[in-house]
Amino acid sequence: MKTYGEKPASARTRQRVGIADFAVTADGAVLTTSGLGSCLGVCLHDDRAGVAGLIHVMLPTAPDDPPNAAKYADTGIDVMLQAMCAEGAAVDDVRAKLAGGSAMFEFDSQDEPIGERNVAVARTMLDRRGVPIDAEDVGGDSGRSIQFHGETGVLVIKSAGDERRL
Amino acid sequence: MRVDIQSLGTYNRLAQEGAEHAAASLTQMTGIETYVDVTNVTLMSKRDVEDVFGGTEFVGVQIGLGGGLSGETALAFDRDSAASIVDVLVPGATAGTDDSFDEMARSGINEIGNIMMGGFVDGWADYLATSVDMTPPTYVERDGTDVLPNGTLDRAEEEHVFVFESQMTAVDEEIDAYIYMLPEYGAFAEMLEASDDHEDAIPMDKLTVFDEMTRQGAERAAENVSSMTGIETDVDVSRLSFVPIEDVPNTARDEVYLGTVMEFKGTPGGYLAILFDEPSARTIVDATVPMELDEPLGDMGESAIQEMGNIMTSGFIDGWANVLQTSIDHTPPELVRDLGTAILSPIAGRLGQSQEYAFLMDSTVVTPEGEFNCEIYAIPDEQKLKEALDSLLVERSDQLEANRESIF
Repeated sequence: MKTYGEKPASARTRQRVGIADFAVTADGAVLTTSGLGSCLGVCLHDDRAGVAGLIHVMLPTAPDDPPNAAKYADTGIDVMLQAMCAEGAAVDDVRAKLAGGSAMFEFDSQDEPIGERNVAVARTMLDRRGVPIDAEDVGGDSGRSIQFHGETGVLVIKSAGDERRL
Repeated sequence: MRVDIQSLGTYNRLAQEGAEHAAASLTQMTGIETYVDVTNVTLMSKRDVEDVFGGTEFVGVQIGLGGGLSGETALAFDRDSAASIVDVLVPGATAGTDDSFDEMARSGINEIGNIMMGGFVDGWADYLATSVDMTPPTYVERDGTDVLPNGTLDRAEEEHVFVFESQMTAVDEEIDAYIYMLPEYGAFAEMLEASDDHEDAIPMDKLTVFDEMTRQGAERAAENVSSMTGIETDVDVSRLSFVPIEDVPNTARDEVYLGTVMEFKGTPGGYLAILFDEPSARTIVDATVPMELDEPLGDMGESAIQEMGNIMTSGFIDGWANVLQTSIDHTPPELVRDLGTAILSPIAGRLGQSQEYAFLMDSTVVTPEGEFNCEIYAIPDEQKLKEALDSLLVERSDQLEANRESIF
């Protein structure tokens, strides 16, 4: 989901990220996404360059030549890293936080739940790119809505009436 | 005729891109940041059209298309959204919510309509490698189905109509805009028509039967609610749409729902979610549990919703099984209480492993006094849906009509 308008101008600007989509900010916008169930939010932050990104992936691995790379953990993380580097980030300075990947239903809890696989593939991809994971709030059986503060790298998670900060 | 699923997907993508151009034009002209929420293509009967558009008041423009793509389009705003846009676009024009829009306001709406629809249509013209002619915009300020291009209802009565719908929403304000495009049926059917040996093709007449099946399922579910609660209910909206799989979760609102979800197995396989928003859940519980319950709903309330979900599920499944003349196996409905998008995301994820687009059947059960509403989402597995439709005898559609009448 693309938004139209001027680039976020201040840390108070919020930018909404849809499913199978990502956003990158170089000026401290708050990136938000809501209703993460089995989907996974991958938050990347380069403190030195002041660049942050949030991607909302739906599935772990992409087929060949996917029409939308942001839909998948394996292709989406690279696409967002590239977009962050275009804004001045350096992969070596990027750190990650993960939220989502729950198993909401019994029918999605047996033989490799989607959420669990999303988390596993994201961890593998981040490890491969040398991006350390600072914090995770994954799994469980509740949905999450998240706000990723581009300026500070703080991740606020709302889930089942609770609020957590990572 | 048979419909090529892949090409339906391509046209959906064109409509999505077109809507993004239109949203960009809106932002450029007004400075209001907007995004495209959902784009879908729906196959509607006359009754579906009346359900979806009835009872709402729109302000907007109608523009006819000719040349490489013939059909009708409408850009519609609800009154408040139109007033906000007029305020920005033509300061000084009368755009109060109770007064009617003056000449300046109308010409502002016409202008933005023309520009937005130009953006919407450009992508189609490029893809079809042809030029598309647009008629001058006609300003409309109407209720319900009247906002649709003339003749839509008549056409829908003769044969189902394809309706492309995109919703655009402002990021920080309460502004919604809708683009509707109704391609001329014959020409569009030719664009969609698959060659006989195309394995992804779905027979058109059977697809319309499936649309009716959904309505029948929803009606059975609604009857079961009525008999359990004593509250009169009706199916307000029931439609079959074709959406990119990643748009499925967005079809529920961004709020907390209570309800049940289950997987149905065999032919057709897929998922069924029956969801109540929180106030509606409260109403249901109050009507079915003969004692005062705590606020918010605790275990006892949740078990009442579970029970309601079970009963509606069996009604819905009966409706389908009746048309398919087969039994349908399913997992026990599971209770859920979460954000709508989170509830639908594992369903989209599981289906998304093998399909790019989903046939989404959504229905809304309401009561005449607005005591509650209940959203029913049925999302079949695409491959299993094809198998089910292949084994569905076309004569059964006549039988369906007979069954429908015997219900009322």
